[in-house]
Amino acid sequence: MAAILAFLGWLGRYLWSAWAGAAGLFCLAAAWQAGHELYGSFVLPSPLETGQEVARLIGEPDFRVAALETAQRSGLGFLLSVAVGTSAGIAAGYSFAAMRLMRPIVTVILGVPPIAWIVLALIWFGAKGGTAVLTVVVASLPISFAGGLEGVATRDRALEAMAKSFGAGRFMRLRTVTAPHLVSYLFPAWTTTAGSAWKVTVMAELLSNAGGLGGDLASARALFDIPRVTALVLAVVGFALFTEYVLIQPLRDRLEQWREAGRPWGVKR
Amino acid sequence: MRLALERIGHAFLGRAVFENLTLRLDAGEVLALVGPSGCGKTTALQIAAGLVDPLRGRVRREYRRHAVVFQEPRLLPWQRTRDNIAYGLAARGIGREERHAIAAARAAEVGLHPRDLDKYPAELSGGMRQRAAVARALAVDPEVVFFDEPFTAVDVGLRRVLQDLVITASAREKFAALFVTHDLSEAARLAHRILVMSGRDGSIRVDRTIAGTPGARDDRAIFEMVQGWMHEAAFAELFDPDRDRA
Repeated sequence: MAAILAFLGWLGRYLWSAWAGAAGLFCLAAAWQAGHELYGSFVLPSPLETGQEVARLIGEPDFRVAALETAQRSGLGFLLSVAVGTSAGIAAGYSFAAMRLMRPIVTVILGVPPIAWIVLALIWFGAKGGTAVLTVVVASLPISFAGGLEGVATRDRALEAMAKSFGAGRFMRLRTVTAPHLVSYLFPAWTTTAGSAWKVTVMAELLSNAGGLGGDLASARALFDIPRVTALVLAVVGFALFTEYVLIQPLRDRLEQWREAGRPWGVKR
Repeated sequence: MRLALERIGHAFLGRAVFENLTLRLDAGEVLALVGPSGCGKTTALQIAAGLVDPLRGRVRREYRRHAVVFQEPRLLPWQRTRDNIAYGLAARGIGREERHAIAAARAAEVGLHPRDLDKYPAELSGGMRQRAAVARALAVDPEVVFFDEPFTAVDVGLRRVLQDLVITASAREKFAALFVTHDLSEAARLAHRILVMSGRDGSIRVDRTIAGTPGARDDRAIFEMVQGWMHEAAFAELFDPDRDRA
């Protein structure tokens, strides 16, 4: 019962904190509106027009199919790159040899522009969904990898010695000593990955003409349907906000609750 | 006999810490290991506790469970005090209910308020954290406890309280303890026997049983004992101002 109440309290606070976020977004919308009034609807449709266009888009079955397609691709790319990158990073963090071998490889992979991967993937996979997924994976895998690696490499060895002195096995040490520390390295990496997964998917779809929101965007551009372009952009941003603040942040908030304890206002229970 | 180090040699990056260290810890005995900073007493403790593998020599352990109280509390910042105290029990695979009950009992023994059990280490004072660390060690019912200068960072009054805690716990639970410290009066208060390690080659200079039982010695006796030691040649190295210039 107390646990449920504590959870509800946390949920209420989390939702309430959305007001601050909304205030920031409305500032941005105001700047947008100013731009619109300066340059007119053809160059920059107003937020209101865009919102109406989004509402109309949601009613279109084609749009829903395209959005689902993009969501699936970026979701798959996100999951693959996070799973592979994080586990490889953790493994590399435990081994100095692996760390030394992998670091330059990561730098090289990060140095290749995503657009180059799209071209390569187009040649390998053709104009299909695989292109988008591969681009997302390759573009964002190194971020999770570096996060996992740094997190493990900077784990608290004094706490590890403590755990060892109580006979904690390898897995228990990973779970109780390393993992909570890793979280603060992995979540920024995962947030970046989630954000770039949407962007890169749309970009890959646009360039490979593989349907999805990117394909939609390409045809809207061809038709000079500017409100549709901004509406699609807004939709993608909405998806990115959703992944960040509905899927990732709450999880992080729950896992990092202990950090509140060290802050001047103390832990909130 | 609970623990014996036999002809242990260890070196860090080729620099020898000690060549030939032999010591023995009997059941129920509190053994104070004293020495100047950097003489290798912490290394000796880590070898005894199995945290470091010695280069040479043999460690004989005749007990089932040990626990270590480190210089810093080393509590997990992301676990509440209750789970921190129960950590050793969790490592042994004891169920949640049972280990929380044991943790609560041990916390009471070391003077933690039940309210403190729900707090994170960041919310506890330094003394409270060290109390929790002691409770965590006692919670596993150890036969040997290793103390690595555990009370150096707390104030004088609290240090006494924590020492008394160790004295009563060892009298009650009959565990053997290896207590590393650089404070002679701390050794004189709580140990049955004192070993003095040399800073030059890590050899044992003094091995002496301290008269009386820990906890029963009064402050005057302890003061006079430490004063007496200060004038002995074997202890001289601890007070040598030039020892770093070797």
